[in-house]
Amino acid sequence: MTLKEQIPAGAKKIAGLRPTRHRILVYLTIMGPGLIAANAGNDAGGIATYSSAGASYGYSLLWMLVLITFSLIVVQEMCARMGAATGQGLSDLIRENFGIRWTVLVMLCLFIANTGTIASEFVGIAASLELFGISKYLSVPIVALILWSLIVQGSYKLVERIFLAMSLVFLGYIGSAFLAGPNWGEALRQTVVPSFSFDSGYLTMFIATVGTTITPYMQLYIQSSVAEKGVTMRDYPYERADVIMGSIFSNTIAFFIVVCTAATLFVAGIHVNTAADAAKGLEPLAGPYAETLFAIGLFGASMLAAGVLPLATAYSLTEALGFEKGVSRSFEEAPVFMSIFTALIIFGAAVSLIPGLPLIQALIVVQVLNGVLLPVILVSILKIVNNQEVMGEHVNGPLQNVIAWATTIAVSGLSILLVVSNFAPGLMGT
Amino acid sequence: MNVPQIVRGRWLCPLGEMPYNILVTMYSNPHNNTQTFEPTWPANPAINEEMLFLSQLIGQPILDKQNEKIASIKDVIVRIGTQTYPPMSGLVARASGRDFFIPISQIQSLDERGAKLATYSVNLQPFARRDGEVLLGKDVLDKQLVDLNGRRVIRVNDLQLARADGEYFLAGVDVGAQALLRRLAPIALFIKMPGHQIIDWADVEYFASDAPAVRLKVSHDRLAKLHPVELARIVESLPYAQGTEIVESLDDQTVADALEEMTEARQADFLEAMEGDRAADVLEKMAPDEAADLIGALPEDKAEQILELMEAEESAEVKQLLSYPEDDAGGVMTTEFVAVPQQFTAQETIDYIRAMEPKPDLIYYVYALESRDDNRLVGVTSLLDVILAPPKTRIADIMNREPLTAKPDESDEDIARTIAEYNLLALPIVDEANHILGIVTVDDALDIVLPESWRQRLPKIFS
Repeated sequence: MTLKEQIPAGAKKIAGLRPTRHRILVYLTIMGPGLIAANAGNDAGGIATYSSAGASYGYSLLWMLVLITFSLIVVQEMCARMGAATGQGLSDLIRENFGIRWTVLVMLCLFIANTGTIASEFVGIAASLELFGISKYLSVPIVALILWSLIVQGSYKLVERIFLAMSLVFLGYIGSAFLAGPNWGEALRQTVVPSFSFDSGYLTMFIATVGTTITPYMQLYIQSSVAEKGVTMRDYPYERADVIMGSIFSNTIAFFIVVCTAATLFVAGIHVNTAADAAKGLEPLAGPYAETLFAIGLFGASMLAAGVLPLATAYSLTEALGFEKGVSRSFEEAPVFMSIFTALIIFGAAVSLIPGLPLIQALIVVQVLNGVLLPVILVSILKIVNNQEVMGEHVNGPLQNVIAWATTIAVSGLSILLVVSNFAPGLMGT
Repeated sequence: MNVPQIVRGRWLCPLGEMPYNILVTMYSNPHNNTQTFEPTWPANPAINEEMLFLSQLIGQPILDKQNEKIASIKDVIVRIGTQTYPPMSGLVARASGRDFFIPISQIQSLDERGAKLATYSVNLQPFARRDGEVLLGKDVLDKQLVDLNGRRVIRVNDLQLARADGEYFLAGVDVGAQALLRRLAPIALFIKMPGHQIIDWADVEYFASDAPAVRLKVSHDRLAKLHPVELARIVESLPYAQGTEIVESLDDQTVADALEEMTEARQADFLEAMEGDRAADVLEKMAPDEAADLIGALPEDKAEQILELMEAEESAEVKQLLSYPEDDAGGVMTTEFVAVPQQFTAQETIDYIRAMEPKPDLIYYVYALESRDDNRLVGVTSLLDVILAPPKTRIADIMNREPLTAKPDESDEDIARTIAEYNLLALPIVDEANHILGIVTVDDALDIVLPESWRQRLPKIFS
């Protein structure tokens, strides 16, 4: 479906009256969550992971980036569809369909994964501001306080667009990839021909890439966003287009980050250990300004996620567990919500201030955690989306089930491999 | 403070910790009909021990008369719809991988240790769903319901059963966090963990759509008594199926009032989901300006269909309003106002207002027209002045001859500013020839100037 077919040709009039805004209105309000959710994969952890993947393993992970785009589309589409069919968030549906024990397990996984991700966003904020020469011991507490008060006062939405615009800097990777003069033949070959290794470093990077591309919180975000906007199955085709375009867009950027760093850092034998190393990927495009540009993008992307994640996590937990589920409540009237939200920000900021924390490695560890916990979320999603009592006629088709189950099984298998390779490396014969 | 505590211990344990005022009401008049608890209250302190929670029952053994375990409790069945407190009609029993139905008549006793059957031989019928019956574990536990007293959506963490007159009833919903902990903790810790936050089942609204497997008769009339703003918030925050169930069950006027308080996108969703006739009926009950905005947000074919189904008069008004762009004065004005020929007397004016149908939501000004056949605006007076004037006074004699007016193509923000500046409650909109077309009222003006974020309290994070 092309863009032109989705927007009705001109706004016609009802019997010569006011132009109907309906279709355009629907399109404009619906467009976005899919894009934002998928783009959240390109946050601090994402940039660090993709940069490291390219720097350490060259083009050899490109093939999985293509495959995982399909997985991402299918997973995000299922969640958007659940939101549009039921009007409920993912945590609500899990609670209503799996009972309390499984809900608590899933929420625990989500809580751990999201807490790690929040910490990683603050690590990204710290790293980006250190590129400007600002000490993290100064910047992080201030930024955390500003972020907290912006959200509590409800004015976060106003600055969100600024952060979004800043993160668009990463589009520069596309230009940079071309200017870096990569070996396109080799890059294309590795994109089409899969390769694999049982090396634990490689496995770690593999899972981290999966974890950062399909992060559990992206599924929560897309579904809550669809439900909160009141998107129904009647308007769903627009939402699906948004999800597909958003996933392709964000993974395209990821693809070029890998190409960029493979063409610059991998050939020079540099591993990414600091944000300054990662910034070198932008040098072919920006030359001496690469670090500044990288810092701006990293700051915007980290702030974007650091704002939404604590809120989204607090919402999911309180909704699933039934605390303070009220419709017209202010922050003051919701102490549990407020405590979770505040604690997450404080914790995230505190982690990023640990002296001597290896920033890039810390970011990647969080993505590995996301990847390992992903199967729990995926199994829950698949069971609900195939439940006719919940979804009615909107259950999965066979192709969606094949891709989603293949993803789930592959990610689970990889997680087990990773654990085995770390604790019993002898078994792998490496 | 002693009185309610005694009450709580002796009489009211089955309902747990209820709000203080209800306790007092019930104590002072145990047979008070307003409390609609149908079973009579046994004045027996022992009832304390017969207070049961669903989470205590599920998984417990079912013993026959010789104390041999024949199955375990899988779920509890209650009959919903006829009584305020749904009576228990039986258990779903699980044995050798199959589900059986055990009617309440075969059960001799039921407590947290399990169920004991009254008979030696038990006839295990295979379990099948029946209309009017819900499974507490499957259809109620963990679902979202509406607490009518608290005017909020709640999540069911546990369910409280009470015994009265030898029968078991669903008495309340536990929404407390401790209930969750109890369900997670091992049985041994379970009993020792106190703390309930019970909402009386009489104050709870259950939804037929929570139990899609059976047909239920559930009335939502009590929701119609909520303020439209509260009703709208509740409908918006419920899942689509439950929101639609409410909208389908309420009368046109209540739905119209609630719709007016929702976001345009949700209004359009609900209206699109309705049958054309129903949508037309609901729109007729809405203020014309709101109806016009809503129709403007619908897809073209649906909008045309609904306009055709509406009464001629209402659809003409809406069509007229639709001819103005949304953000101009014409787009925000309403066509419901009081205008009389200037020759009318005060008494005639009051009679006219009495006879008006439907009456405008807000009558503060009475607009004076040139004559019966000529609706050029010549003056304005307040309803207060009309009432205070001697009955035979002509409107022309008490009216202000230079009313402030605006044109339909002026921007809505200018209109709002004028209303604020001149402390008006409404501003008439007139065409080039000074014919009155409608008025913009102060509440619409507030909507125009107030930032969106002031109107919703909890920040929306995802959209």
